[in-house]
Amino acid sequence: MIQIDGLTRAFHGVPAVSGVSFTVGAGEIHGLCGHNGAGKSTVVKMLTGQLTPDSGRIVIGDEPVELRSRQAAQRAGVALVDQELSVVPALTVGENMLLGDIHAPLVNRRRAAYAHCRRVLDDMGLEGIDPDQPLSTLSIGEQQLIEIAKALSQRARLVILDEPTATLTDVESASVFAAIRRVAATGCSIIFVSHRLAEVLELCHSVTVLRDGRKIATTPTADLTVDALIVQMLGEPPFRLAAARKPDHDLAHALRISGLRVPGRLRDFSLTANAGRIYALAGQLGSGASDVLRAVAGLHPTAIGTVELHDRPVPVRDPVAAARHGVAFLSNDRKSEGLFLDRSVGWNLTATRLPFFARAGVLQPRRELVIARALAERSGLPEHRLGDPVAALSGGNQQKAFVGRCLGRDDVFALLLDEPTRGVDIGGRAAIHQLLRRAADAGLVVLFASTELDELLELGDVIVTMRDGQIVNRYDGDVDVDGVLLMRDMTRGIA
Amino acid sequence: MTAVPVRSGISAVGLVVPLAGLAVLVGLAGTTHRFLSLDNARAILASTAFVGITAIGATLVMIAGSGVSLATSQTATVTAMFFLSTQQYGLVTAVTVAVLTGVALTALQGAVIGYWHANPIVLTIAAGFAIGGATTWFSGGTPVNPEVREFDVLNSTVLGLPVAVYVLLGVTVLAHLTLHRTTAGRQMYLVGSNRTAARAAGLPVGRVTVIAWAFFGACIALTGVFLASFNTSATVTLGGTLTLDAIAAVLVGGTAITGGRGSALQTLGGAVLIAVISDVLLLRGYSTGVQILVKGILVLAAVVAVHLRATRGRR
Repeated sequence: MIQIDGLTRAFHGVPAVSGVSFTVGAGEIHGLCGHNGAGKSTVVKMLTGQLTPDSGRIVIGDEPVELRSRQAAQRAGVALVDQELSVVPALTVGENMLLGDIHAPLVNRRRAAYAHCRRVLDDMGLEGIDPDQPLSTLSIGEQQLIEIAKALSQRARLVILDEPTATLTDVESASVFAAIRRVAATGCSIIFVSHRLAEVLELCHSVTVLRDGRKIATTPTADLTVDALIVQMLGEPPFRLAAARKPDHDLAHALRISGLRVPGRLRDFSLTANAGRIYALAGQLGSGASDVLRAVAGLHPTAIGTVELHDRPVPVRDPVAAARHGVAFLSNDRKSEGLFLDRSVGWNLTATRLPFFARAGVLQPRRELVIARALAERSGLPEHRLGDPVAALSGGNQQKAFVGRCLGRDDVFALLLDEPTRGVDIGGRAAIHQLLRRAADAGLVVLFASTELDELLELGDVIVTMRDGQIVNRYDGDVDVDGVLLMRDMTRGIA
Repeated sequence: MTAVPVRSGISAVGLVVPLAGLAVLVGLAGTTHRFLSLDNARAILASTAFVGITAIGATLVMIAGSGVSLATSQTATVTAMFFLSTQQYGLVTAVTVAVLTGVALTALQGAVIGYWHANPIVLTIAAGFAIGGATTWFSGGTPVNPEVREFDVLNSTVLGLPVAVYVLLGVTVLAHLTLHRTTAGRQMYLVGSNRTAARAAGLPVGRVTVIAWAFFGACIALTGVFLASFNTSATVTLGGTLTLDAIAAVLVGGTAITGGRGSALQTLGGAVLIAVISDVLLLRGYSTGVQILVKGILVLAAVVAVHLRATRGRR
């Protein structure tokens, strides 16, 4: 039995989790739900020794434990299965299961190790997988199962599953669930963290909901519905009234996406978008929302489908051609796929518009300075920082520089943004929203993907909800929308 | 040179260490017999030129984030052979043939790296063997020894300096202007700084890579031309240690091997520095072995310094 009692943790004085308590019995599968920023991952990190609580205690079995490191957590019998696979494809199944095992003997005894892994796999109902098989011969779902087997083989008493099904197909999810149930039947406690509420209700015995760092309730799943769960998660849900947005009959179609598919990620996506409007794609991790943007930007080498921008076909799978046709894309990974971090703010702002201040391929420094200054002003960046490396700016200002790169260009017709305000404070967020609104007013199509309900409702003229690689619903400007509606689409799927 | 200057974050330590090194060098050089003579300065520049020309080209490739080429010596050799075996058509034709050969061979490697994301190390090792093998095969292992000697003019001196020194300076200026004043040059810095971001922004990563490698190829060919003229014949081993010497000059100049940082002038400085130190050691009677050893230490020190600067900037 696992008891969590009054767990509290603050970052720089801002509480992320305050006084969270719940109990997971032996053999129980316990759901942990909450919207972005509710404190789920902070709780998970405290349970796995990645963060130390400011106060509160964790009791495993009968004794309170201090989990100061991941090793300490592992020794206390806590195992984590992350949403990202942490297995090594080049090793065998058995080697993966014993990887990083603190109980493993110094000298590997092959026969004993094989027998141990065989037993664990059998316990999970995975008779078909051989411990000597290279891991790379397994499907992604099976690899996820090996992650769970790894936790079990290391004698875990508490297994925490953090979004294990986000990238799995339904069939794969089903086999993962079957394995989880068998693991629980052995007396192991399980905490299941997921955005997929229908799955939570199907799999778990009870669910604890967090909101703003506090526990709202722990309820047996028998007494719950998806809607009830959403209400617990959101409290007073954000909403948007129909009157807030003009209908857009009179606008010309600008961006036509039809039959867009990315194997394994996006099943089928079609959307006609008008110039001057902001389109919001609402979807959780693995929903395909960000894949739509990446595919249109030419960054999915396996994408198929047709994209037209102002009646000109845009070739998919070619980022240079997409940019030439007027598509500007902003990745959700600003640091590694967005900015040129060690270069100046000025260089970053002008990176994609060199022809604007070049004559026959020769740069005109004076013109560049004029353009860079104008862009800094337009994106709300202080001019005296143009020469600083962009890495020295705050998250909000970095994002402004990133967005600013695409503004004020008459050769850009569509602005695609993946999580436009990730890692940005409230002030910066409002400023970026304003920039995007102005871009739309200037006649661009703006299409963004987000998981933040507030952002979707504030910014989206048209909101398209997605799950499992396809569209669930479309909410135009002339209907009321609220957070519960969106969450239901994003978490439960097509009814 | 640039419209939007980068504020350089040189700290006290970052300034003191190179200055101290320079002071030691000046002290050593000043007290070395015969170092401070016009002839010696001339000798230093002349010995810088051959490797220097190639190193300038290698700078563009490194800045554009393609790392290094390990096929440089072989490419220089094959261009030298083409140059010598076309002597009877006149100097201009012979140089043109050599340069076009160098550009074609090297730009092709650049295309495979830029458009198909090949690993530069692996690709250029393969290309190096292929080019070296083909050269040995076709030459039958015998030296190319032309009867017409149009190349003699390249061995002459103008205003007291060998022609190769002027070519080195010309190539340096051209590379500097390309890097700092052209669209392609700016894109080389951007691609080298963050290739993934450049791709996502729709920058022509492939084209930029090819341009850098083509420039490099022309530089290698010019080195090949001068090597051939100097030796008056070409064997398959003519290229010698050019590959690593060129890389050393670029690294000592402070260009980051990971791309995005550096300049042609720095490489020129690196090449001259290596030549000066080798010269001092030579005049003081140290063996070739010591000279090579010191070159190694110099490369290591430069790479560490560049790395420290880069990581400090990121914090």
